[in-house]
Amino acid sequence: MTDAAMGNVAVLLSIGRHPVSGRSRRAATDAQALEMALALRPRRLTAIHAGPAADAEALRAYLGMGLERLTLLVLPEGADPVEALITHLRHLAPSLVLTGRQAEDGESSGMLPYLIARGLDAAIVPDVVRIGPADTPDATYGKADLVQALPRGQRRALTVTGRLIATVHPSAPPARASAFGPARRGVIEPVAAQAAADLFLSDCEHRPWRPKPKLMRVKRGGSALDRLKAATESKSGKGQLLINPTAEAGALAIYDNLVEQGILP
Amino acid sequence: MIATALTTVVLAVLAIGAALAAWQSRRWLAGRPATVGVVTGLRALPGRYLVDVHHVVGRTPFNARFHALVAGGFLAALVLLVAMGVAIGGSRILWLLLALVLAIMLAGALMVRHRRRVLRPRELSQGRFARLPLSLLGFSGCLLLVALDQSLGGVMPEALALVLIAVAGAAMADLVWGVWKGPLKHAVHGALHLAFHPRPARFHDGKGRDTGLKPLTFAPAEDARTAEPGSLGVERPVDFAWNRLLGFDACVQCGRCETACPAYAAGLPLNPKKLVQDLVAAMDSQASDAAYAGNPHPGRGVGKAHGGAALPLIGHDAMIHPDTLWSCTTCRACVQECPMMIEHVDAVVDLRRFQTLELGAIPGKAAVMLEELRATDNPGGRALARRWDWAADLSLPRLPAGGSCDTLLWVGDGAFDLRVQRSLRALVLLLRRAGMDFAVLGEEELDCGDVARRLGDEATFQSLATRNIATLNARRFTRIVTADPHALHTLRNEYPAFGGSWTVVHHTALLLELITTGALTVTKPVGRSVTFHDPCYLGRYNGEIEAPRALLDAIGVERREMLRSGLRSSCCGGGGGAPLTDVSGERRIPDVRMEHVRETGAAMVAVACPNCALMLEGVVGPRPEVAEIAELVLAATETAR
Amino acid sequence: MTSPQIRHRVDPRAERAARTILTGQRPRLLRQPVATATVNERRRDPRAIRDAALVQRQPRPRYDWARDAASAGTTAAVGVAVANAPVIPLQVIAEPAYLVLAMLDRPGGEVSEHDRQVIAAARLLADAGGGAVVTVATGSGEALAEAGSDRHVALPDGWADDYVPERRAAAAAALMASLSPRHILFPDSPDGGDLARRVAAAAGERLFAGVQSLGPDRATRQSAGGSLETGHRPTRLMTVAADAFAPLDGVRHEARPLDLATPVVAGEEVLPRLGCARRLAVDPDALSLSETDFILSAGNGVTDWQSFAELGEALGATRAGSRVVCDAGHLPRERQVGASGTVVSARCYLAFGIAGAPQHLQGITGVKHVIAINTDLHAEMIKRADLSIVADAQEIMPALIRLIRERRHD
Repeated sequence: MTDAAMGNVAVLLSIGRHPVSGRSRRAATDAQALEMALALRPRRLTAIHAGPAADAEALRAYLGMGLERLTLLVLPEGADPVEALITHLRHLAPSLVLTGRQAEDGESSGMLPYLIARGLDAAIVPDVVRIGPADTPDATYGKADLVQALPRGQRRALTVTGRLIATVHPSAPPARASAFGPARRGVIEPVAAQAAADLFLSDCEHRPWRPKPKLMRVKRGGSALDRLKAATESKSGKGQLLINPTAEAGALAIYDNLVEQGILP
Repeated sequence: MIATALTTVVLAVLAIGAALAAWQSRRWLAGRPATVGVVTGLRALPGRYLVDVHHVVGRTPFNARFHALVAGGFLAALVLLVAMGVAIGGSRILWLLLALVLAIMLAGALMVRHRRRVLRPRELSQGRFARLPLSLLGFSGCLLLVALDQSLGGVMPEALALVLIAVAGAAMADLVWGVWKGPLKHAVHGALHLAFHPRPARFHDGKGRDTGLKPLTFAPAEDARTAEPGSLGVERPVDFAWNRLLGFDACVQCGRCETACPAYAAGLPLNPKKLVQDLVAAMDSQASDAAYAGNPHPGRGVGKAHGGAALPLIGHDAMIHPDTLWSCTTCRACVQECPMMIEHVDAVVDLRRFQTLELGAIPGKAAVMLEELRATDNPGGRALARRWDWAADLSLPRLPAGGSCDTLLWVGDGAFDLRVQRSLRALVLLLRRAGMDFAVLGEEELDCGDVARRLGDEATFQSLATRNIATLNARRFTRIVTADPHALHTLRNEYPAFGGSWTVVHHTALLLELITTGALTVTKPVGRSVTFHDPCYLGRYNGEIEAPRALLDAIGVERREMLRSGLRSSCCGGGGGAPLTDVSGERRIPDVRMEHVRETGAAMVAVACPNCALMLEGVVGPRPEVAEIAELVLAATETAR
Repeated sequence: MTSPQIRHRVDPRAERAARTILTGQRPRLLRQPVATATVNERRRDPRAIRDAALVQRQPRPRYDWARDAASAGTTAAVGVAVANAPVIPLQVIAEPAYLVLAMLDRPGGEVSEHDRQVIAAARLLADAGGGAVVTVATGSGEALAEAGSDRHVALPDGWADDYVPERRAAAAAALMASLSPRHILFPDSPDGGDLARRVAAAAGERLFAGVQSLGPDRATRQSAGGSLETGHRPTRLMTVAADAFAPLDGVRHEARPLDLATPVVAGEEVLPRLGCARRLAVDPDALSLSETDFILSAGNGVTDWQSFAELGEALGATRAGSRVVCDAGHLPRERQVGASGTVVSARCYLAFGIAGAPQHLQGITGVKHVIAINTDLHAEMIKRADLSIVADAQEIMPALIRLIRERRHD
């Protein structure tokens, strides 16, 4: 992707929620998305949040990362932000839209980037950890090289053509700290937007989440004794103990144990 | 003839010196305005010099003596020489008097030479300072000859006398023009700094101690948008208040801070003397540290730093490297040792404030910690209720809003740590054993903001402080007890600026009181050799060095003292967010401190601060045992059942 | 009065044992009679059976009545041998009232645990009203029969290793159009979740993501960062959270290939915007400690850093260390495990020479399996570990390296 194509970047920022205290904060992966956008040094960087005006103060944490201004699409409480965002983004026509993988508050279904990609007729790539212009020799206009995070630390490289919506994975470079001074000085520009109420969400019933007992993986087969052991034995402090084995015996015990755990083939 | 020549030379040199000093003053007058009591300051100057400065200088008697001889002789000689100029043509007695004071000065100058050429302490700077003994000897020696000759009637050929006067004049010029950049700058700037000191309360004419950081005032939110960047903390030299710049300029590079600094001792890239000299050098427009002739920041050479009065101070190529700034543990050892009463820690925190509040350039895990602190009011990002997990079986009484109790126990953030929980448990059991009426705040207790403030995050500190103060002011109690000297200092010395004033006592003081009043009886004296490591925030910050020692004596330990103890104790490396910023050096600060412990041969080191306990216990290998003082007291007051 | 018929002896116990399915969470009885072996050949010897079934004498006797003859070590006990291979009846849903699609990941051709869980969730919806579960994945459906699949749609084999989510989404949309399923379930895995969201966006339908519990009338999921439980009647498109449903056991379904009017390769026509997908070689030492699965950690007891580095390479493990090791500069600071370093949640933690300071143990609370090698039997780490070896790290490390290299060459 040439500079001209990477020159117009939009970042969608939501209001996060601390998992323990429940307090508003910058959302972790959204902040990483903003970090990624800032690191790209685009010619034009637009940060957008859609939501009720009352929540705006929590957005200042993003301004503290070095943004001068942030667009707030003012929506009524409980409204669906997707349409408003699509309308605004069509107007901005960014070549790249970055956002976090899933909101920390609200429905957190992770659908928003997909709906926006659909609305903008753009490609969508989830779980991106690195983004940059394609370095292939035949790099043509409108191509970007991405690296995607997979489970267990695996990575996948991709090339994307055209306009791109990317969601950022927690393994992406960490977000810079938010500073108090710029956060206070930054400007939040409210823009009135049209949005319909989210009927589906109001149709759902909500209650506080109570942790469920973890699903036990029942070991199949084996003797009754094995199954009894598997079900009743507590793990901690009941490990196998070898005292002063020969180096070979010790190594073998470790090796077998690793194979048993499926760590080694 | 001789007298006229002499006075002319002296007056000319003095006049040029005064002009130079005046010209130099524009450097520090460029700083931000500060409210200073000029008249009261000048009036207090001699007292501050004779009491406070001499209290510091007198810690090394040799230095105190040569200062008295040289400075006294020099000033008296100047007075006599000027007097001679006024009373044209000196009498013999005047010459004899002059010879006497010059002889005194000569003796002092010889001591200075002995120190600089023979003893050669490694913390002394070279450069311009290397010429100092020569100038002193030249001035006093040459004039002594002339004065003796004149008092005897003038047997010396006049030409020789004039040559001697010329040599003395040159030597004096070197001394006096030293107000420009040389050794004698400290005499003029030091005196002015004493008069216009930013913390007048630290002198004997004030409270005698003033260690709380000064709050930063935040403009209301509407003004924040119009305010210029740079208003939060210090970015450039000119962002310091003028009397702080004057303070840096008073530095005489004696290197006492360097010997006291725990970070320097561990080879972290911080030398407080060089830090202040960096600030001094940066006041010039085209600044560089090339002229600095002392020990550098460990691991960093001299000559690479560049800056200017209106250029950022902190940066990889700027005057001060970020690692230097974040190495400081805010232990105040340098401030304690500085004979010129320079406030290094204030400067460090001011610089950090800009880095944190304006740039968000916070190193290591400190940034993560501050973000969690803002979101959860505790540095670990845990639920506040979990602060009390360790006390689940102790059923600690909670003090609700509007409630009252005698003693409020402030446990601090150490309560989240497994190691510290052990000593908190011991303290609670002791309070129970003594039948104290105490309570805790429960989930209402937030982090006191100490670490956030030392890391420069004044905004988070003030948010925590105002909420804690509101919580505490809604309850009635006679005093707050805490086992954490950092919380003690913050609550006692820094919350009053935000409207919270209570009696705050450290648990060592309380336990001593309980033992002296008989509420606790020592049944099993410890009987082991124990050395006490003074927490910086209890000792230097609050002057409490007696109570812990009396407490240790009361429980029957064989107390040994480290070479550096009491107010001159050395830091464990756990203060000022240093474990979070985690700047690496040649060694770790707690390892250095553990060396000091080992030197005493004591079997155990007693600590009175959760940070010290964690840092010293983190030292690996065979080492003396680390015990929190409350744990020792608990074991010593065990009652038979 | 005697009957001319030969009267078989009835052995109710053997019959019952033959009908018992012991796999699964609790024993289940098959309803229909099972052809039991002729039981009249020999007389039962209760004492022998009892002896054969005895697996543990102390502290109290335990019997395993399901053990087969081979493992029993003694003569085969009558009736018990038959029970070992219970025939699971095939469940056929010939005329399904509706279809429930399960779009599986099948990473690398293997049916993952999460895939099985998705099928189990789909069964809940299908069984409530006589519906059938249609699995959609690369490869044949045989492996899915015992997971609970009634019908199977095989995606082209070539799709298994490619990452072209747009093509898969198009295929799913085509299936949605041609089969009109009542529900489509996806695993809420990185790839499955991505696919589900693409399908939902394309179809303009609401996705109920990360289902935690499911019934015919109500599905729930976590929302608001995990603080709320949101309930709704099951929507058409849902993703199933990992480890929320137990995979099925002791069932057998047809997994019959489904005849489709239009081939699913219709999706091939989509021009993908995403291309050149390739796996990158990942250096385990470049992974962050919070992301890696297997950590090789060193403490104060390690002095042979050469072997430690080689061992890390041989194991393909991410290297880490205790505070002391990082302080000493043997490893960079971001490799420090513990309360003041990184709190890790790897699957396996192999600790050499770590005593286990409380701060270090705090850092590994999330680790599933710990192996500790330490010279001190009383070290905290030895107590915490699942496999503890009291030995010198400097001796074990080279031996382990040799062993791994030997095994690799075999």
